[in-house]
Amino acid sequence: MTSLLEVQRVSKSFGGLHALSDVSFEVGAGEIFAVIGPNGAGKTTLFNCLAGAATLTSGAIRLGGQRIDGRPPHEICRRGLARTFQLVKPFRGMTVLENVKVAAFSRYPSTKQATAAARAVLDRIGMAGLAEHDAETLNVAQLRQLEIARALATEPQLLLLDEMLAGLTPTESTAMCERIRQLPRAGIAVIVVEHSIPVVTSLCARAVVLCFGKVLTQGSTCEVIANPRVQEAYLGNAQS
Amino acid sequence: MSNFRTATIVAGVLLVAFAAVSGDRYFMDIFIFTCFYGTLAVCWNMMAGLTGLMSLGHALFVGIGAYSVAWGLSVHGWSPLVTWPLGVGLAVAAAAAIGMLCFRYGLRGYFFAIATLAFGEVAFFTVSATEALGRSDGMIMPISAEDIPGQLQFFEKWPYALIIMTILIGTIAIGEALMKSRTGYYWRALRDNEQAAEALGVNARAFKLRCFMLSAGISALCGAFYANYVAFVDPRSVLGVELSIQMLVYSIVGGMSLLWGPLIGAAVLVPFSILLRDYSAIPGSDIVVYAVLLAVLALVLPQGIAGWFVARWQRRRLARRASRTAEVVS
Repeated sequence: MTSLLEVQRVSKSFGGLHALSDVSFEVGAGEIFAVIGPNGAGKTTLFNCLAGAATLTSGAIRLGGQRIDGRPPHEICRRGLARTFQLVKPFRGMTVLENVKVAAFSRYPSTKQATAAARAVLDRIGMAGLAEHDAETLNVAQLRQLEIARALATEPQLLLLDEMLAGLTPTESTAMCERIRQLPRAGIAVIVVEHSIPVVTSLCARAVVLCFGKVLTQGSTCEVIANPRVQEAYLGNAQS
Repeated sequence: MSNFRTATIVAGVLLVAFAAVSGDRYFMDIFIFTCFYGTLAVCWNMMAGLTGLMSLGHALFVGIGAYSVAWGLSVHGWSPLVTWPLGVGLAVAAAAAIGMLCFRYGLRGYFFAIATLAFGEVAFFTVSATEALGRSDGMIMPISAEDIPGQLQFFEKWPYALIIMTILIGTIAIGEALMKSRTGYYWRALRDNEQAAEALGVNARAFKLRCFMLSAGISALCGAFYANYVAFVDPRSVLGVELSIQMLVYSIVGGMSLLWGPLIGAAVLVPFSILLRDYSAIPGSDIVVYAVLLAVLALVLPQGIAGWFVARWQRRRLARRASRTAEVVS
Protein backbone atom coordinates (compact mmCIF):
# COMPACT_ATOMS: atom_id res chain seq x y z
CA MET A 1 0.00 0.00 0.00
CA THR A 2 1.38 3.39 -0.97
CA SER A 3 0.75 6.07 1.61
CA LEU A 4 -1.19 9.09 0.50
CA LEU A 5 -1.08 10.85 3.83
CA GLU A 6 1.72 10.51 6.35
CA VAL A 7 1.25 12.03 9.78
CA GLN A 8 4.55 11.95 11.65
CA ARG A 9 4.88 12.69 15.37
CA VAL A 10 2.44 15.56 15.22
CA SER A 11 2.01 17.61 18.40
CA LYS A 12 -0.17 20.61 19.04
CA SER A 13 -0.30 22.58 22.27
CA PHE A 14 -2.53 25.44 23.26
CA GLY A 15 -0.44 27.06 25.98
CA GLY A 16 0.03 24.33 28.56
CA LEU A 17 -2.68 22.09 27.11
CA HIS A 18 -1.35 19.29 24.92
CA ALA A 19 -4.23 18.75 22.53
CA LEU A 20 -2.16 16.35 20.42
CA SER A 21 1.10 14.69 21.35
CA ASP A 22 3.22 12.54 19.07
CA VAL A 23 0.40 11.43 16.83
CA SER A 24 1.55 9.30 13.89
CA PHE A 25 -0.41 7.30 11.31
CA GLU A 26 -0.63 6.76 7.59
CA VAL A 27 -3.53 6.61 5.19
CA GLY A 28 -3.34 4.84 1.85
CA ALA A 29 -4.79 5.95 -1.46
CA GLY A 30 -8.40 4.89 -1.86
CA GLU A 31 -8.81 3.90 1.77
CA ILE A 32 -11.56 4.83 4.23
CA PHE A 33 -9.83 5.42 7.53
CA ALA A 34 -11.38 6.25 10.89
CA VAL A 35 -10.22 8.53 13.67
CA ILE A 36 -12.12 7.61 16.81
CA GLY A 37 -11.89 8.56 20.43
CA PRO A 38 -13.97 9.94 23.28
CA ASN A 39 -15.00 13.60 23.43
CA GLY A 40 -12.06 15.95 23.80
CA ALA A 41 -9.57 13.40 22.46
CA GLY A 42 -8.26 15.87 19.88
CA LYS A 43 -10.00 14.59 16.76
CA THR A 44 -11.15 17.97 15.50
CA THR A 45 -7.80 19.53 16.41
CA LEU A 46 -6.16 16.85 14.31
CA PHE A 47 -8.41 17.75 11.36
CA ASN A 48 -7.61 21.43 11.82
CA CYS A 49 -3.90 20.62 11.73
CA LEU A 50 -4.25 18.47 8.62
CA ALA A 51 -6.27 21.13 6.77
CA GLY A 52 -3.94 23.96 7.76
CA ALA A 53 -6.47 25.77 9.95
CA ALA A 54 -4.13 25.25 12.92
CA THR A 55 -0.33 25.27 12.95
CA LEU A 56 1.60 22.36 14.39
CA THR A 57 3.77 22.71 17.46
CA SER A 58 6.01 19.97 16.10
CA GLY A 59 5.94 17.09 13.67
CA ALA A 60 5.32 16.78 9.95
CA ILE A 61 2.41 16.05 7.63
CA ARG A 62 2.98 14.82 4.08
CA LEU A 63 0.42 14.52 1.32
CA GLY A 64 1.61 12.48 -1.63
CA GLY A 65 5.15 12.75 -0.29
CA GLN A 66 5.15 16.57 -0.01
CA ARG A 67 5.11 18.49 3.25
CA ILE A 68 1.84 20.36 3.74
CA ASP A 69 2.20 21.42 7.36
CA GLY A 70 2.69 25.16 7.73
CA ARG A 71 0.94 25.82 4.41
CA PRO A 72 -2.22 27.97 4.46
CA PRO A 73 -5.61 26.20 4.13
CA HIS A 74 -6.33 27.37 0.58
CA GLU A 75 -3.06 25.94 -0.65
CA ILE A 76 -3.61 22.60 1.09
CA CYS A 77 -7.01 22.48 -0.58
CA ARG A 78 -5.40 22.96 -3.97
CA ARG A 79 -2.97 20.16 -3.26
CA GLY A 80 -5.90 17.81 -2.92
CA LEU A 81 -7.01 17.73 0.70
CA ALA A 82 -10.60 18.80 1.36
CA ARG A 83 -12.53 18.88 4.59
CA THR A 84 -16.01 19.30 5.94
CA PHE A 85 -16.86 21.03 9.18
CA GLN A 86 -18.55 19.41 12.14
CA LEU A 87 -20.63 22.57 12.50
CA VAL A 88 -21.75 23.12 8.92
CA LYS A 89 -20.58 26.38 7.39
CA PRO A 90 -22.70 27.07 4.31
CA PHE A 91 -22.51 30.39 2.46
CA ARG A 92 -25.97 31.51 3.53
CA GLY A 93 -26.34 34.33 1.06
CA MET A 94 -25.98 31.98 -1.91
CA THR A 95 -27.88 29.20 -3.61
CA VAL A 96 -26.76 25.56 -3.37
CA LEU A 97 -25.26 25.71 -6.85
CA GLU A 98 -23.37 28.90 -6.05
CA ASN A 99 -22.01 27.33 -2.88
CA VAL A 100 -20.59 24.44 -4.88
CA LYS A 101 -19.32 26.78 -7.60
CA VAL A 102 -17.10 28.57 -5.08
CA ALA A 103 -15.39 25.24 -4.50
CA ALA A 104 -15.28 24.34 -8.22
CA PHE A 105 -13.50 27.62 -8.97
CA SER A 106 -10.44 26.24 -7.21
CA ARG A 107 -9.98 23.86 -10.19
CA TYR A 108 -11.73 25.77 -12.99
CA PRO A 109 -11.11 29.53 -13.08
CA SER A 110 -13.67 30.14 -15.84
CA THR A 111 -17.28 30.62 -14.76
CA LYS A 112 -18.64 28.32 -17.46
CA GLN A 113 -16.43 25.37 -16.56
CA ALA A 114 -16.93 25.91 -12.84
CA THR A 115 -20.72 25.90 -13.30
CA ALA A 116 -20.55 22.69 -15.30
CA ALA A 117 -18.29 21.04 -12.72
CA ALA A 118 -20.55 22.16 -9.86
CA ARG A 119 -23.64 20.79 -11.60
CA ALA A 120 -21.86 17.49 -12.22
CA VAL A 121 -21.04 17.18 -8.51
CA LEU A 122 -24.63 17.99 -7.50
CA ASP A 123 -25.90 15.37 -9.95
CA ARG A 124 -23.51 12.77 -8.61
CA ILE A 125 -24.51 13.38 -5.01
CA GLY A 126 -28.23 13.54 -5.78
CA MET A 127 -28.75 17.23 -5.00
CA ALA A 128 -29.47 18.50 -8.52
CA GLY A 129 -33.07 19.24 -7.56
CA LEU A 130 -31.91 21.64 -4.87
CA ALA A 131 -29.44 23.55 -7.05
CA GLU A 132 -31.41 26.81 -7.18
CA HIS A 133 -32.53 26.75 -3.54
CA ASP A 134 -31.07 29.25 -1.11
CA ALA A 135 -28.61 27.54 1.21
CA GLU A 136 -30.34 29.01 4.26
CA THR A 137 -33.53 27.08 3.48
CA LEU A 138 -31.89 23.62 3.72
CA ASN A 139 -32.39 21.18 6.59
CA VAL A 140 -29.57 19.54 8.56
CA ALA A 141 -29.19 16.51 6.33
CA GLN A 142 -29.15 18.66 3.21
CA LEU A 143 -26.60 21.02 4.75
CA ARG A 144 -24.36 18.03 5.47
CA GLN A 145 -24.76 16.90 1.88
CA LEU A 146 -23.89 20.40 0.74
CA GLU A 147 -20.70 20.28 2.83
CA ILE A 148 -19.71 17.07 1.05
CA ALA A 149 -20.69 18.43 -2.37
CA ARG A 150 -18.51 21.49 -1.85
CA ALA A 151 -15.59 19.43 -0.64
CA LEU A 152 -15.90 17.08 -3.63
CA ALA A 153 -16.03 20.00 -6.04
CA THR A 154 -12.45 20.88 -5.05
CA GLU A 155 -11.55 17.47 -6.59
CA PRO A 156 -9.62 16.12 -3.61
CA GLN A 157 -7.43 13.06 -3.30
CA LEU A 158 -8.23 12.94 0.38
CA LEU A 159 -11.45 13.99 2.07
CA LEU A 160 -11.78 14.66 5.80
CA LEU A 161 -15.30 14.14 7.13
CA ASP A 162 -15.93 15.50 10.60
CA GLU A 163 -18.95 13.81 12.23
CA MET A 164 -21.06 13.81 9.12
CA LEU A 165 -23.72 11.59 10.66
CA ALA A 166 -24.37 13.45 13.91
CA GLY A 167 -27.98 14.55 14.15
CA LEU A 168 -29.18 12.57 11.13
CA THR A 169 -32.09 10.12 11.19
CA PRO A 170 -31.22 6.42 10.64
CA THR A 171 -32.48 6.55 7.04
CA GLU A 172 -30.47 9.66 6.29
CA SER A 173 -27.35 8.25 7.87
CA THR A 174 -27.64 4.98 5.91
CA ALA A 175 -27.87 6.98 2.68
CA MET A 176 -24.89 9.09 3.74
CA CYS A 177 -22.81 5.97 4.55
CA GLU A 178 -23.60 4.54 1.14
CA ARG A 179 -22.40 7.75 -0.46
CA ILE A 180 -19.17 7.70 1.55
CA ARG A 181 -18.57 4.08 0.57
CA GLN A 182 -18.66 5.10 -3.11
CA LEU A 183 -15.85 7.64 -2.77
CA PRO A 184 -12.79 5.32 -2.99
CA ARG A 185 -14.06 4.10 -6.36
CA ALA A 186 -13.67 7.68 -7.59
CA GLY A 187 -10.09 7.62 -6.34
CA ILE A 188 -10.78 9.58 -3.18
CA ALA A 189 -9.40 8.45 0.17
CA VAL A 190 -11.49 9.37 3.19
CA ILE A 191 -10.78 9.99 6.85
CA VAL A 192 -13.88 9.99 9.02
CA VAL A 193 -14.27 11.17 12.57
CA GLU A 194 -17.23 9.31 13.96
CA HIS A 195 -18.76 8.34 17.28
CA SER A 196 -20.99 5.51 16.18
CA ILE A 197 -18.99 2.27 16.40
CA PRO A 198 -21.29 0.27 14.07
CA VAL A 199 -20.81 2.92 11.41
CA VAL A 200 -17.05 2.88 11.83
CA THR A 201 -16.83 -0.91 11.64
CA SER A 202 -19.02 -1.04 8.55
CA LEU A 203 -17.20 1.75 6.71
CA CYS A 204 -13.56 1.58 7.64
CA ALA A 205 -10.96 -1.14 7.38
CA ARG A 206 -8.49 0.62 9.63
CA ALA A 207 -8.73 3.07 12.48
CA VAL A 208 -6.64 5.06 14.89
CA VAL A 209 -7.89 5.69 18.43
CA LEU A 210 -7.04 8.98 20.12
CA CYS A 211 -7.37 9.54 23.84
CA PHE A 212 -6.30 12.78 25.52
CA GLY A 213 -4.31 13.71 22.43
CA LYS A 214 -2.30 10.49 22.29
CA VAL A 215 -2.58 7.50 19.99
CA LEU A 216 -4.07 4.76 22.14
CA THR A 217 -3.85 2.14 19.44
CA GLN A 218 -4.24 1.72 15.70
CA GLY A 219 -4.79 -1.09 13.25
CA SER A 220 -7.69 -2.97 11.75
CA THR A 221 -10.99 -1.58 12.98
CA CYS A 222 -12.26 -4.84 14.52
CA GLU A 223 -9.07 -5.40 16.48
CA VAL A 224 -8.96 -1.82 17.62
CA ILE A 225 -12.51 -1.89 18.90
CA ALA A 226 -12.00 -5.19 20.67
CA ASN A 227 -9.02 -3.72 22.50
CA PRO A 228 -9.88 -3.49 26.23
CA ARG A 229 -8.02 -0.19 26.61
CA VAL A 230 -10.24 1.34 23.94
CA GLN A 231 -13.37 0.09 25.65
CA GLU A 232 -12.11 1.49 28.89
CA ALA A 233 -11.44 4.89 27.30
CA TYR A 234 -14.96 5.04 25.94
CA LEU A 235 -16.94 3.49 28.75
CA GLY A 236 -14.78 4.02 31.79
CA ASN A 237 -13.43 1.18 33.90
CA ALA A 238 -16.13 -1.47 33.79
CA GLN A 239 -15.15 -3.47 36.87
CA SER A 240 -18.02 -4.25 39.14
CA MET B 1 -24.39 42.13 -23.78
CA SER B 2 -25.95 39.75 -21.27
CA ASN B 3 -22.77 40.07 -19.24
CA PHE B 4 -23.46 43.76 -18.70
CA ARG B 5 -27.22 43.82 -18.26
CA THR B 6 -27.24 45.97 -15.12
CA ALA B 7 -24.66 48.35 -16.56
CA THR B 8 -26.74 48.76 -19.71
CA ILE B 9 -29.90 49.50 -17.73
CA VAL B 10 -28.06 51.97 -15.49
CA ALA B 11 -26.57 53.69 -18.54
CA GLY B 12 -30.02 53.98 -20.11
CA VAL B 13 -31.61 55.45 -16.98
CA LEU B 14 -28.73 57.88 -16.54
CA LEU B 15 -29.01 59.10 -20.12
CA VAL B 16 -32.73 59.75 -19.67
CA ALA B 17 -32.08 61.60 -16.41
CA PHE B 18 -29.27 63.55 -18.07
CA ALA B 19 -31.55 64.60 -20.90
CA ALA B 20 -34.26 65.57 -18.43
CA VAL B 21 -32.01 67.90 -16.42
CA SER B 22 -29.88 69.20 -19.28
CA GLY B 23 -31.80 72.49 -19.57
CA ASP B 24 -31.22 73.56 -15.99
CA ARG B 25 -27.94 74.25 -14.22
CA TYR B 26 -29.40 73.70 -10.76
CA PHE B 27 -30.85 70.28 -11.53
CA MET B 28 -27.73 69.36 -13.48
CA ASP B 29 -25.75 70.08 -10.33
CA ILE B 30 -28.00 67.78 -8.32
CA PHE B 31 -27.63 65.11 -11.01
CA ILE B 32 -23.83 65.37 -10.88
CA PHE B 33 -23.73 65.05 -7.09
CA THR B 34 -26.12 62.12 -7.20
CA CYS B 35 -23.80 60.32 -9.61
CA PHE B 36 -20.79 61.27 -7.49
CA TYR B 37 -22.23 59.92 -4.23
CA GLY B 38 -23.81 57.00 -6.07
CA THR B 39 -20.44 55.87 -7.42
CA LEU B 40 -18.85 56.22 -4.00
CA ALA B 41 -21.63 54.25 -2.33
CA VAL B 42 -21.45 51.48 -4.95
CA CYS B 43 -17.69 51.06 -4.60
CA TRP B 44 -17.90 51.27 -0.79
CA ASN B 45 -20.56 48.57 -0.82
CA MET B 46 -18.42 46.32 -3.03
CA MET B 47 -16.36 45.97 0.13
CA ALA B 48 -19.02 46.15 2.83
CA GLY B 49 -22.05 44.48 1.31
CA LEU B 50 -20.47 42.05 -1.12
CA THR B 51 -17.18 41.11 0.57
CA GLY B 52 -18.01 41.78 4.21
CA LEU B 53 -15.35 44.43 4.79
CA MET B 54 -16.93 47.42 6.54
CA SER B 55 -14.69 50.44 6.00
CA LEU B 56 -15.40 53.62 7.94
CA GLY B 57 -12.43 55.49 6.52
CA HIS B 58 -13.22 55.56 2.84
CA ALA B 59 -13.09 59.36 2.79
CA LEU B 60 -9.32 58.86 3.04
CA PHE B 61 -9.20 57.63 -0.56
CA VAL B 62 -11.57 60.32 -1.84
CA GLY B 63 -9.31 62.84 -0.12
CA ILE B 64 -6.17 61.39 -1.68
CA GLY B 65 -7.71 61.75 -5.13
CA ALA B 66 -9.06 65.25 -4.49
CA TYR B 67 -5.87 66.59 -2.91
CA SER B 68 -3.68 65.08 -5.64
CA VAL B 69 -5.61 67.12 -8.19
CA ALA B 70 -5.80 70.30 -6.10
CA TRP B 71 -2.16 70.20 -5.07
CA GLY B 72 -0.88 69.16 -8.50
CA LEU B 73 -2.76 71.95 -10.24
CA SER B 74 -2.24 74.78 -7.74
CA VAL B 75 1.43 74.12 -7.04
CA HIS B 76 2.73 72.62 -10.29
CA GLY B 77 0.03 73.36 -12.87
CA TRP B 78 -0.20 69.63 -13.70
CA SER B 79 -2.93 68.48 -16.02
CA PRO B 80 -5.57 65.95 -14.98
CA LEU B 81 -3.76 63.45 -17.19
CA VAL B 82 -1.05 63.48 -14.52
CA THR B 83 -3.01 64.21 -11.37
CA TRP B 84 -5.84 61.68 -11.84
CA PRO B 85 -3.52 58.67 -12.27
CA LEU B 86 -1.37 60.05 -9.45
CA GLY B 87 -4.36 60.22 -7.08
CA VAL B 88 -5.65 56.79 -8.03
CA GLY B 89 -2.17 55.27 -7.74
CA LEU B 90 -1.57 56.78 -4.31
CA ALA B 91 -4.98 55.63 -3.08
CA VAL B 92 -4.46 52.08 -4.33
CA ALA B 93 -1.03 52.02 -2.69
CA ALA B 94 -2.51 53.32 0.58
CA ALA B 95 -5.24 50.69 0.46
CA ALA B 96 -2.65 47.99 -0.20
CA ALA B 97 -0.61 49.11 2.79
CA ILE B 98 -3.59 49.43 5.16
CA GLY B 99 -5.11 46.21 3.87
CA MET B 100 -1.93 44.21 4.30
CA LEU B 101 -1.62 45.45 7.88
CA CYS B 102 -5.26 44.77 8.76
CA PHE B 103 -5.53 41.38 7.04
CA ARG B 104 -2.12 40.25 8.24
CA TYR B 105 -3.36 40.63 11.80
CA GLY B 106 -6.77 39.18 10.99
CA LEU B 107 -8.84 42.30 11.66
CA ARG B 108 -12.48 41.66 10.76
CA GLY B 109 -15.89 43.15 11.36
CA TYR B 110 -15.90 45.96 13.88
CA PHE B 111 -12.14 45.85 14.30
CA PHE B 112 -11.53 46.43 10.61
CA ALA B 113 -14.09 49.26 10.68
CA ILE B 114 -12.34 50.93 13.61
CA ALA B 115 -8.89 50.52 12.05
CA THR B 116 -10.01 52.15 8.78
CA LEU B 117 -11.76 54.89 10.74
CA ALA B 118 -8.50 55.58 12.55
CA PHE B 119 -6.49 55.80 9.33
CA GLY B 120 -9.08 58.18 7.87
CA GLU B 121 -9.01 60.42 10.93
CA VAL B 122 -5.21 60.48 10.98
CA ALA B 123 -5.27 61.71 7.38
CA PHE B 124 -7.93 64.30 8.23
CA PHE B 125 -5.91 65.83 11.05
CA THR B 126 -2.61 65.55 9.20
CA VAL B 127 -3.94 67.44 6.19
CA SER B 128 -5.68 69.95 8.47
CA ALA B 129 -2.27 70.79 9.89
CA THR B 130 -0.21 70.75 6.70
CA GLU B 131 0.74 74.18 5.37
CA ALA B 132 1.40 72.94 1.83
CA LEU B 133 -2.14 71.58 1.60
CA GLY B 134 -3.82 74.73 2.90
CA ARG B 135 -4.45 73.44 6.42
CA SER B 136 -8.10 73.27 7.44
CA ASP B 137 -8.93 76.23 5.13
CA GLY B 138 -8.49 73.96 2.14
CA MET B 139 -7.15 74.77 -1.30
CA ILE B 140 -8.82 77.02 -3.85
CA MET B 141 -7.81 75.91 -7.31
CA PRO B 142 -6.97 78.56 -9.93
CA ILE B 143 -9.77 79.05 -12.46
CA SER B 144 -9.66 81.18 -15.57
CA ALA B 145 -12.53 82.98 -17.25
CA GLU B 146 -12.15 80.80 -20.35
CA ASP B 147 -12.93 77.12 -20.69
CA ILE B 148 -9.76 75.00 -20.63
CA PRO B 149 -10.77 71.47 -21.66
CA GLY B 150 -7.24 70.18 -21.01
CA GLN B 151 -7.62 71.23 -17.37
CA LEU B 152 -11.23 70.01 -17.23
CA GLN B 153 -12.41 73.59 -16.75
CA PHE B 154 -15.81 74.23 -18.24
CA PHE B 155 -18.40 76.89 -17.63
CA GLU B 156 -21.18 74.53 -18.60
CA LYS B 157 -22.01 71.67 -16.27
CA TRP B 158 -22.81 69.01 -18.84
CA PRO B 159 -19.19 67.98 -19.54
CA TYR B 160 -18.81 67.23 -15.83
CA ALA B 161 -22.04 65.24 -15.88
CA LEU B 162 -20.73 63.16 -18.78
CA ILE B 163 -17.46 62.47 -16.93
CA ILE B 164 -19.06 61.33 -13.68
CA MET B 165 -21.66 59.30 -15.60
CA THR B 166 -18.85 57.50 -17.38
CA ILE B 167 -17.15 56.75 -14.08
CA LEU B 168 -20.41 55.48 -12.57
CA ILE B 169 -21.31 53.27 -15.53
CA GLY B 170 -17.75 51.95 -15.65
CA THR B 171 -17.89 51.11 -11.95
CA ILE B 172 -21.16 49.21 -12.36
CA ALA B 173 -19.83 47.39 -15.44
CA ILE B 174 -16.60 46.35 -13.70
CA GLY B 175 -18.53 45.33 -10.59
CA GLU B 176 -21.04 43.34 -12.60
CA ALA B 177 -18.35 41.51 -14.57
CA LEU B 178 -16.48 40.71 -11.35
CA MET B 179 -19.59 39.50 -9.51
CA LYS B 180 -20.21 36.97 -12.27
CA SER B 181 -16.62 35.76 -12.21
CA ARG B 182 -14.56 33.77 -9.75
CA THR B 183 -13.58 36.94 -7.92
CA GLY B 184 -17.20 37.85 -7.15
CA TYR B 185 -18.01 34.36 -5.91
CA TYR B 186 -14.93 34.41 -3.71
CA TRP B 187 -15.89 37.81 -2.30
CA ARG B 188 -19.36 36.65 -1.34
CA ALA B 189 -17.96 33.43 0.09
CA LEU B 190 -15.57 35.46 2.25
CA ARG B 191 -18.47 37.62 3.42
CA ASP B 192 -20.60 34.61 4.37
CA ASN B 193 -17.94 32.41 5.99
CA GLU B 194 -14.25 33.09 5.74
CA GLN B 195 -13.14 29.81 7.34
CA ALA B 196 -15.21 27.71 4.93
CA ALA B 197 -14.02 29.77 1.99
CA GLU B 198 -10.37 29.19 2.88
CA ALA B 199 -10.97 25.47 3.23
CA LEU B 200 -12.40 25.50 -0.30
CA GLY B 201 -9.28 27.04 -1.80
CA VAL B 202 -9.96 30.77 -1.45
CA ASN B 203 -6.88 32.86 -0.71
CA ALA B 204 -8.71 35.13 1.72
CA ARG B 205 -6.02 37.75 2.17
CA ALA B 206 -5.35 38.18 -1.56
CA PHE B 207 -9.00 38.51 -2.52
CA LYS B 208 -9.87 40.91 0.29
CA LEU B 209 -6.89 43.02 -0.67
CA ARG B 210 -7.98 43.02 -4.31
CA CYS B 211 -11.42 44.28 -3.30
CA PHE B 212 -10.00 46.97 -1.03
CA MET B 213 -7.61 48.25 -3.70
CA LEU B 214 -10.29 48.39 -6.39
CA SER B 215 -12.70 50.20 -4.11
CA ALA B 216 -10.03 52.69 -3.03
CA GLY B 217 -9.02 53.34 -6.63
CA ILE B 218 -12.59 54.18 -7.68
CA SER B 219 -13.03 56.38 -4.60
CA ALA B 220 -9.91 58.32 -5.55
CA LEU B 221 -11.22 58.72 -9.09
CA CYS B 222 -14.38 60.26 -7.64
CA GLY B 223 -12.29 62.50 -5.40
CA ALA B 224 -10.24 63.69 -8.37
CA PHE B 225 -13.46 64.46 -10.24
CA TYR B 226 -14.82 66.34 -7.22
CA ALA B 227 -11.73 68.57 -7.07
CA ASN B 228 -11.96 69.46 -10.76
CA TYR B 229 -15.70 70.07 -10.57
CA VAL B 230 -15.91 72.11 -7.38
CA ALA B 231 -12.43 73.69 -7.78
CA PHE B 232 -12.12 73.79 -4.02
CA VAL B 233 -11.17 71.06 -1.57
CA ASP B 234 -10.99 71.20 2.19
CA PRO B 235 -10.50 68.42 4.74
CA ARG B 236 -14.12 68.46 5.89
CA SER B 237 -15.66 67.88 2.50
CA VAL B 238 -13.30 65.23 1.12
CA LEU B 239 -11.60 63.67 4.16
CA GLY B 240 -14.20 64.00 6.91
CA VAL B 241 -15.84 61.03 8.55
CA GLU B 242 -19.21 62.47 7.40
CA LEU B 243 -18.35 61.48 3.85
CA SER B 244 -17.57 57.90 4.90
CA ILE B 245 -20.86 57.76 6.80
CA GLN B 246 -22.75 59.04 3.75
CA MET B 247 -21.51 56.06 1.70
CA LEU B 248 -22.76 53.77 4.45
CA VAL B 249 -26.18 55.46 4.72
CA TYR B 250 -26.85 55.36 0.96
CA SER B 251 -25.84 51.69 0.89
CA ILE B 252 -28.08 50.71 3.82
CA VAL B 253 -31.05 52.63 2.46
CA GLY B 254 -30.53 51.30 -1.06
CA GLY B 255 -29.74 47.69 -0.20
CA MET B 256 -26.36 46.22 0.65
CA SER B 257 -26.84 42.78 -0.84
CA LEU B 258 -26.91 44.12 -4.39
CA LEU B 259 -24.19 45.75 -6.48
CA TRP B 260 -26.54 48.52 -7.64
CA GLY B 261 -28.51 48.85 -4.40
CA PRO B 262 -26.46 51.78 -3.03
CA LEU B 263 -27.08 53.67 -6.26
CA ILE B 264 -30.82 53.59 -5.54
CA GLY B 265 -30.12 54.88 -2.03
CA ALA B 266 -28.09 57.77 -3.42
CA ALA B 267 -30.66 58.49 -6.13
CA VAL B 268 -33.36 58.88 -3.48
CA LEU B 269 -31.45 60.59 -0.70
CA VAL B 270 -29.01 62.94 -2.47
CA PRO B 271 -31.59 64.97 -4.44
CA PHE B 272 -33.93 64.85 -1.46
CA SER B 273 -31.36 66.26 0.96
CA ILE B 274 -30.18 68.97 -1.47
CA LEU B 275 -33.75 70.09 -2.25
CA LEU B 276 -34.67 70.03 1.44
CA ARG B 277 -31.66 72.12 2.30
CA ASP B 278 -32.35 74.68 -0.41
CA TYR B 279 -36.08 74.99 0.09
CA SER B 280 -36.62 74.62 3.84
CA ALA B 281 -37.89 77.80 5.44
CA ILE B 282 -36.49 77.19 8.91
CA PRO B 283 -32.69 76.69 9.02
CA GLY B 284 -31.82 73.19 10.20
CA SER B 285 -35.30 71.78 9.65
CA ASP B 286 -34.03 69.90 6.60
CA ILE B 287 -31.74 67.80 8.79
CA VAL B 288 -34.64 66.88 11.08
CA VAL B 289 -36.80 65.79 8.15
CA TYR B 290 -33.89 63.89 6.61
CA ALA B 291 -33.18 62.07 9.87
CA VAL B 292 -36.84 61.10 10.30
CA LEU B 293 -36.92 59.77 6.72
CA LEU B 294 -33.80 57.68 7.39
CA ALA B 295 -35.28 56.23 10.57
CA VAL B 296 -38.55 55.37 8.81
CA LEU B 297 -36.74 53.75 5.86
CA ALA B 298 -34.56 51.70 8.18
CA LEU B 299 -37.64 50.50 10.06
CA VAL B 300 -39.89 49.79 7.07
CA LEU B 301 -37.32 48.46 4.58
CA PRO B 302 -34.52 46.79 6.53
CA GLN B 303 -33.18 45.17 3.33
CA GLY B 304 -33.07 48.55 1.63
CA ILE B 305 -35.22 49.86 -1.20
CA ALA B 306 -33.62 47.76 -3.93
CA GLY B 307 -33.38 44.75 -1.63
CA TRP B 308 -37.10 44.98 -0.92
CA PHE B 309 -38.04 45.07 -4.60
CA VAL B 310 -35.77 42.17 -5.49
CA ALA B 311 -37.04 40.06 -2.58
CA ARG B 312 -40.65 40.73 -3.65
CA TRP B 313 -39.86 39.82 -7.22
CA GLN B 314 -38.12 36.60 -6.16
CA ARG B 315 -40.99 35.63 -3.88
CA ARG B 316 -43.43 36.06 -6.74
CA ARG B 317 -41.25 34.00 -9.05
CA LEU B 318 -40.95 31.22 -6.45
CA ALA B 319 -44.70 31.25 -5.85
CA ARG B 320 -45.32 30.97 -9.59
CA ARG B 321 -42.89 28.09 -9.84
CA ALA B 322 -44.45 26.35 -6.83
CA SER B 323 -47.96 26.62 -8.28
CA ARG B 324 -46.70 25.25 -11.57
CA THR B 325 -45.16 22.24 -9.79
CA ALA B 326 -48.40 21.74 -7.88
CA GLU B 327 -50.32 21.61 -11.15
CA VAL B 328 -47.93 19.03 -12.55
CA VAL B 329 -48.28 16.90 -9.41
CA SER B 330 -52.08 17.07 -9.33
